[in-house]
Amino acid sequence: MRRYVPAISVRVVARRVVVVLVVLLQVGLVVRGYVADHREFAFQMFPEASRWEADIVRVTAGGERIPVERPWAGYRWEELVRGRGLGYPGARHHADAGLDNQIAFLRAALDWVAHNTPRDRETRYLEARVTRWHNDDPPTFETIRSDERAGVG
Amino acid sequence: MRSLALLRILLGPVVLLHLRPFLTDLLDGHIYRDSFHEPYASWYPELPRLVYGSLLWVAAIAAVMMSVGLLTRVATTTTFLVVAYNLFLSTTHVHNNRAYLVILLAGLAIGPCDRELSVDAWLRGRRGLPPRDTDAPGWPLWLLRFEAATVYGASGLSKLLDADWFGGTVTYLRVIEVRDRVMESPLPGWAVSLLTDRPFHTYAAKVIVLTELFIAVGLWCRRTRDAAVWVAVCFHVAIQVSASVEVFSYLAIAALVIWAVPSTRDRVVELDRTSRAHRRLEAGLRALDWLARFRVVDGPPGAPVTVADRDGARFRGRPAVVLVLSRLPITAWFALPCLLLPGVRRDRDGRNGGTRVDKAGGRVGSAAARAG
Repeated sequence: MRRYVPAISVRVVARRVVVVLVVLLQVGLVVRGYVADHREFAFQMFPEASRWEADIVRVTAGGERIPVERPWAGYRWEELVRGRGLGYPGARHHADAGLDNQIAFLRAALDWVAHNTPRDRETRYLEARVTRWHNDDPPTFETIRSDERAGVG
Repeated sequence: MRSLALLRILLGPVVLLHLRPFLTDLLDGHIYRDSFHEPYASWYPELPRLVYGSLLWVAAIAAVMMSVGLLTRVATTTTFLVVAYNLFLSTTHVHNNRAYLVILLAGLAIGPCDRELSVDAWLRGRRGLPPRDTDAPGWPLWLLRFEAATVYGASGLSKLLDADWFGGTVTYLRVIEVRDRVMESPLPGWAVSLLTDRPFHTYAAKVIVLTELFIAVGLWCRRTRDAAVWVAVCFHVAIQVSASVEVFSYLAIAALVIWAVPSTRDRVVELDRTSRAHRRLEAGLRALDWLARFRVVDGPPGAPVTVADRDGARFRGRPAVVLVLSRLPITAWFALPCLLLPGVRRDRDGRNGGTRVDKAGGRVGSAAARAG
């Protein structure tokens, strides 16, 4: 007589694998949220009351420091960098998703502008002097530079 | 999986709200890559402008089709794929509410959300085909529940571990930053004073953190689920009126339907159809019982409204009506607190003549006997 062995179908095994993977992935993303600048799927809502502002200038080949509030080579900062509170960096803003997240966006934005303004033939790099207030701590200061632009000077 | 079908209907408009800023920009001739964006990976495909724009419109149409249940599986999968593709185009696109939207759409795309409350099901009936089986493996629903609880749990935990948050500094500073708006709001003077009082936030912050954690845990337990759902609705309404959170409030409130027990028509309502009040209740039930929790049968003439709960407990008269209203999505928030009223509670506990009946209808003993 053949012995009956209950079989678990491939489909059931696949479902269990998917469930375990999703749970592990989600837990991993939540943990990652405590160390990463961008906290995707970590669901840390309203994490800080921190604020920031930045004076951003273009540093030309001749050493001039020109605020980005002034249009240049047909570009406007607020048209190049929209959203995430980056359009008007000179005004003090709340860091919606935390200071680290905000500064990471600002750093990436400086690089993006440096690489995506081909009509600009005079800017060597962009520089932001950032003032950051972590909740009610005293302000701290930081200078961020974009990548050097190729073929200038 | 009635709850997934209902969630599918509710998410359609939420997807449209989510897509609105992208579509508005598109109509203004602007797409994400015309200004600062930050791709997650260089290999992630970026589509030609026309194709990208068309895809957004396809998603909007698919969201409508998903909601009404026309070509439901295709529409739901399409909506999920486009919304997810658009989300991961740039780090600047990702917000918590959008991430949660993608998770819920993924759950619908893999779950059996098309078999009821859909044009597809109606067309199937018109063609004379039998309705599709609404029983299905529960894992998509359990995964969605896990994700929904994670949203509250992760948020609450991050605040619990942050001394500034738990101590009230964060909420206090946020209110102070928008003090002008608070002063101009229709709030009475005492409320404004309270909100701008630092010691108040020492306690309020703890209430917020514990509320989130309570929702995360309370939703899992049947005894606390009603309270967790009720608190969650209050919580999201408070967030919606006090902060800008895109579609998060709509999304989170809609997602509460996944916590309904997935069995259907397992509560029996006995009505006397000669009574006008009973007929009115029946009409309300037929219109608002979106989660299909009740089966209506004829009761004896002149008898009060009677509900046999799924555990066999029977409710009569006003407690029965309260129980019915507490289980309809649109009236639940108002009726759930009434379950705590002494008269209703006594009946619920079975101390007012309540009896248990087994699934076949036979009595298995009075509640009084059980208590004894």
